[in-house]
Parts: sequence; structure tokens; C-alpha cells
Amino acid sequence: MDRVLADPPELTSLYAGALAVSARAGLRRRQRPSALPLDRHRLDGLLAAPDEVEGFQRLMGRARGDFVPSGYVHILVFPVAVSVLSRPDFPLPLLGMIHLRNEIHHLRPIRLDERLAVTAWVENLTPHRSGSQVDVVVHVHSGPEMVWMGRSTYLAKGIHLTGTSDADVATAVAADASPAAEELPGCPTAEWSLGGDTGRRYAAVSGDYNPIHLSVLSARALGMKRPIAHGMYLASRMVAAAGPDESTPFKWTVEFRAPVLLPSRVLLSAEVDASSTAQWRGAEVVAWDPRRRRTHFSGRLERLTVDAGAK
Amino acid sequence: MNNLPTEPNSMSESNGMSESNRTAESDGTTESYRGGAKPRAAVVIGGNRIPFARSGGPYAYASNQDMLTAALDGLVARFGLQGERIGEVAAGAVLKHSRDFNLTREAVLGSALAADTPAYDLQQACATGLETVVGLSNKIKLGQIDSGIAGGADSASDAPVAVSEGLRRVLLDLSRARTTPQKLAALRNLRPADLKPNAPTTAEPRTGLSMGEHQAITTARWDISRQAQDELALASHTNMAAAYDRGFFDDLVTPFRGVSRDANLRADTSLEKLASLKPVFGRDLTAQATMTAGNSTPLTDGAAVVLLGSEDYARKHSLPMLANVVDAEAAAVDFVHGKEGLLMAPVYAMPRLLQRNNMTFADFDFFEIHEAFASTVLTSLAAWEDEDFCRTQLGLSGALGTVHRNKLNVNGSSLAAGHPFAATGARIVASLAKSLAEKGSGRGLISVCAAGGQGVVAILEAR
Repeated sequence: MDRVLADPPELTSLYAGALAVSARAGLRRRQRPSALPLDRHRLDGLLAAPDEVEGFQRLMGRARGDFVPSGYVHILVFPVAVSVLSRPDFPLPLLGMIHLRNEIHHLRPIRLDERLAVTAWVENLTPHRSGSQVDVVVHVHSGPEMVWMGRSTYLAKGIHLTGTSDADVATAVAADASPAAEELPGCPTAEWSLGGDTGRRYAAVSGDYNPIHLSVLSARALGMKRPIAHGMYLASRMVAAAGPDESTPFKWTVEFRAPVLLPSRVLLSAEVDASSTAQWRGAEVVAWDPRRRRTHFSGRLERLTVDAGAK
Repeated sequence: MNNLPTEPNSMSESNGMSESNRTAESDGTTESYRGGAKPRAAVVIGGNRIPFARSGGPYAYASNQDMLTAALDGLVARFGLQGERIGEVAAGAVLKHSRDFNLTREAVLGSALAADTPAYDLQQACATGLETVVGLSNKIKLGQIDSGIAGGADSASDAPVAVSEGLRRVLLDLSRARTTPQKLAALRNLRPADLKPNAPTTAEPRTGLSMGEHQAITTARWDISRQAQDELALASHTNMAAAYDRGFFDDLVTPFRGVSRDANLRADTSLEKLASLKPVFGRDLTAQATMTAGNSTPLTDGAAVVLLGSEDYARKHSLPMLANVVDAEAAAVDFVHGKEGLLMAPVYAMPRLLQRNNMTFADFDFFEIHEAFASTVLTSLAAWEDEDFCRTQLGLSGALGTVHRNKLNVNGSSLAAGHPFAATGARIVASLAKSLAEKGSGRGLISVCAAGGQGVVAILEAR
């Protein structure tokens, strides 16, 4: 069943609500629901704000064009997705959830003045070796036509809904944390110098003021030593650096591994399958931490033929 | 374009030079370029530079304009050009203040040249100096000018420091705001971090990797050893020290601010000393890091210029003719996607230049390959010797050829002299032209790599 939202939800108040919930949960153990809500949240008439797009593109190192960048669509629809995650009947805690993966089909260029209808829901609640994972699915329509669809996979660490014991969790987490030698590309093609304010700067353009990204203190409250970069900031920069020009439909996936603690120096290897941007066919990207030699994320981008993936 | 026996431009170009004088001195050959006819020669008359110095050293408070003016005035003194109107002066700087939009013209106005000498600025990263030589030589060949001064200056010490993007936008919005609420709104966008200024870096804008890190990747790809790099660095220092000792630079360098030799030159360096240095680039790669401060050029301050002219111009002014500027070729590579190394463009330009001129490496007696890093030279040499690379990447039928070390950078290059980006081209052209004049025959090849994945190569020929 669709629940139609009248206005775009305010991310900050959703986070504040979630913070209050987690504080209360700390006091008394709440019975978690074991199934996902089936409702879809829908918001109509969403419109990109040109000055926000400008700020977003400036942060990505690109010029603002006539179309909405793929990463900005995510920003636009994100509050609707979060409104699903912050429902009382959603079984996992919103704050502290870790972004594992994203898959986005950008089916056709979206003009800045197109009114968009967004539908978001959750599905695929499955156990993960260190908790539970869930998919958030977002479909974006312009009129009857689907123009963008995204699937984000999140992990709630330490939340086991299927009855695994705490001991299992401990071993799973320990195994996960052991820094096995990872196979990394021999040579980078780019280097990102991410300042301590990277999270605040992305929050300013995205409205996503999740405290885990903002400051040392607020990140510590959520169990991180230092603030971490937004996954979608990294992913959007990857798309800006290795993606096609803004009029090319494409599909892209990103898998997040070790979080990028801020400030940080990140090396990237981007293999772009193109002799020039006009013949862009796709790209494979790996980003890693040169000091600890651990993968931060990997991504794959590929061109979509005109009617691929359309409903 | 110009079918008159004399050149229209020349009438007013040299002060006090009468038209009849000019005609009398032309020896009957066709001087100006007419479609189809061979263009006239562009000649290197001589050069002048100030000694180069490491950034933050003796020239820490000298601006690009100060240094370029000093280099120009030294050239004027050397060739008696006081009050002369030169056809055109072209120069540039890579690290450039926005107020220096007319750097070269301002330097001309501050020099002993005639105030009616036109000038323009050019910027092509480390190829700036060589490209000014190419551009002015072409104008001379076409008969558009009879004389030209090409060169460049760079100060890594007096580098422009810009306000952050955030502060810049706030200041611009503030200047456009009319009312107090508008002004307050503009100021509200200011963040504390915006107050931190931006200093220029050697990082490539599209990759964020410094030039050294880019070259470290190429070095690893071509498996260039630490020892080979150190040996090349040592040769640069010993060759340049020997050239100073035999007076080679006496008529190429004019002292500036108490410095009379390139301050980076280490005549007493040795393989042991070079081997003791820690690697500074490529430490994040899986391959062993081999690039040190000893086999990489330091950030440098300096300026250099070259006097060019037609044969007629040189004869009329009783000036020497060291060498002809024969031809040049630029190239660029796709380093952004890691398809080729940042500094490999000259490798691609070289076969195109040689083919057009029906030449091979065997036709050359001197090779001036700019030492951005020792490994830049070594990867270029390795690429030209590699059959497979030359076939697949350069489209040749086999290896381009071998550059013999006894012909390479015989009077030292950037590892010894230092590398003030825009000044390097004119340093190389003047030194090579003099080497060719000393030898009295033969040809020289120049190869200069540049940021942005670009490069320029050129041929000079003895007269």
C-alpha cells in the first residue's frame, strides 16, 4: 500500500527522532519487529533546486549542466527513503546503519525542470555475518516514465533478528576486522585529499546531517573514532570522475568496504573503457587507503542502451 | 601574403634602419614565405638567463617580473639592443599571479628595450619556454617579424597564494550585495575553514596526483632502476660543473642578486651520496620506490630568454648566428584515465617530428631531454628502444632508436640546473644552439615534457 507524503520529510527531524528512539532503546530493551513494513512511501512533484545542483556539482568538481546528476537524484529522494527507515515498525535502528552497496539505473537524462514522483520501500531483510542487512528501493518517475531507480543495501551491525547468539556475532565481527592482505591495483590513476570538513561540506549540499559524518565528537557517539565520509559523497565523486557525460543513460554500482575516516588521503584506480567521453562504455573503479592498504570501495559503471531496464 | 622584395613589417621594426640598407643587405634569396616557397630561416642568435636557484633561497623575494626583466636586460646588454624595437617578445610563467596578466609586456616596459616593443604571454606548463621559441620562430620564418625574444620565468618562492573558493565566493557576493541584509546574507555563508588560503600545488587538477607520483607510476611501469636514475642525476651535475669550468656558460648566464652559478648545482655529489637519499615519490605503489630528491628536480626560481632573428636581421646588426630553428611538434597523452604516463607526451611527438623531416636519431649529435625527473629521461629512452611499444603505441614498424648517452644533455640539464618551469625551454635552446655553433655542424633534438600530459619536441641545426 502506498502512503503518500504531503511534503518532503525533514532529514534532521527524522534523525532527531531516531536519536531519541535509540536513547530510549538503551534504557529499556524494546521488542524489535522481525518483519519489514510493506508500505511504500510516495512523494510527488519533487523538483531539483538549480542552486543546490550547482553546489553539488562544485563539490564534485564538475560544472552544472542542464540535467540532474545521478548522485543528486539520490539526495533528492533520500528523505523519502529515510522516512521508511524511521517508521516505528521498521525493525532496525536508523542511526549507525552502514551503507554496504548501491545500485543505480539512471535510465535517461533528467532535465532540471522535471517534476519527479518518488516511491520508496524496503525489502530483502537478510542476516549478515555481522548483523542484519536490508535493501531500500527507490523508483523515480517523470510522468508515467521511470527515469531512475536505486537500490541501497544497509547493514545494522550487531542486530540479529533471526536468533543468532551474541557469541556468533562476536566471532563474525572479529573475523571481519582482521586486516587480511587485500589485492589492490598496483598503480593509482587519481588521489583524493579529503579534509576533515568533507562530511560537513557534503551535508551542506545534501542536507544529510547524519552525526556520524560531522565531527569527531558526534562520530564517537556512534562508535567511530573519527567522522567518516558519506558513502554517497564518495560514490558521486566516483561517478563525476569516471562516469559518462550527463546525457548518457548508465547503470552504476558501488560496494563499500572500509569506511573513509576523515581527514584522509584516498588513492583510486579508474579504468575507463572509452577513447573519449563521447564513446564512453563504462568504467571500473577501486579506491583504497594507501597507508593501511585496505579497499574503501569499488565501483562499476556501464552504459545503458536507450530502452534498457525500462519498465 | 607578402610579395614585396622587402618586408612591410621591417620598415618600422628596427629603429633607425633605413629601407635601402635592408634591401642592400639581403643577398638576393627570397626572404619571406610565399605559398609553396621554402620559408626563410629563423636563427638562434644567443641567449641569456639568470642563474637558477632553489625556491626559498636567494631569489625568495624576487618576482617573476623582476627575474624576467633581469634576464631581458642581460640579453640587451650582451647584444647591444638598448632602445631597440624587437619584432615581438613572447614569454610566460607557470605559477602566475592574476595581476601579471601582461607579465611579458610589463617586463619589456621595465627593460632597456624600446617601449614600442610588443609582447605577449604564453602558458603551456613546462613547455612554455620552448613553445615561445617555436611561435616566434614561425613568425620570423613567415616574414611577420624580423626579430624576437622568447623565454619565461618562474618563481616557486614568490608563488601566488589565493583565498579559498569559499571566501572568494563570499567576497564576490558581498561586492554585488547592495543592502545591509544582502551583505549579512553573503557573510553568513563564510565558514572558518574558508579563511585558510590556497597555495599552488604540483598536483594535476584532474587526478589529484602530484607530478612526482605520476612519474613514479611511469617509472614502475618501465621498471627503471634506482641506480640508473642516480647515475643520470650524477651525469647531469658533473656535465654541468664541467661546462661551467670551461666557461661554457660565460655568455649564457648573467649573475643576479649575488648568484653567479646555478645554486642547485652540486659539483661534488657522488653516487654514494645520491644512493643515501630516501625515496620521496612512489611510496604508495607496490613496486619499490626509487625517486628521491636527488634524482628529481627541485622547485626552482629563475628566468631565461633567447634572441631569435632572421639571417638578415642578424647580419644587419652584426650578430652571431648559432643555429637554425628547424621544426617542432607538440603531443598530448590521455594520462587522466591512466592510459599513458603524465610525462610521456614527447615520446609520441618525436616520431612525428622525425618523419616529417625525414630524419632518424642517427642524424643528431646532441639530445637535450629535459630532466623533470631522471626517470622521465630514462622512460623516454626506454620507450623509443622498445620495439613492441613503438609498434603498438607509436605506430612504427620497429623501435625508434637508441639515444647514445655521450650525446645526451652534454652540458647538464634540469637535475643540475634546477627547473623554473617556464624558463627551462629558453635555457635548453640557448645551450643547444651554442653547442651546435661550437661544433660547427650537426643537429640537436630537444624534448620537453609538461603538466597536463603534454610535450613539445624541436630540431635545431648548426649553420
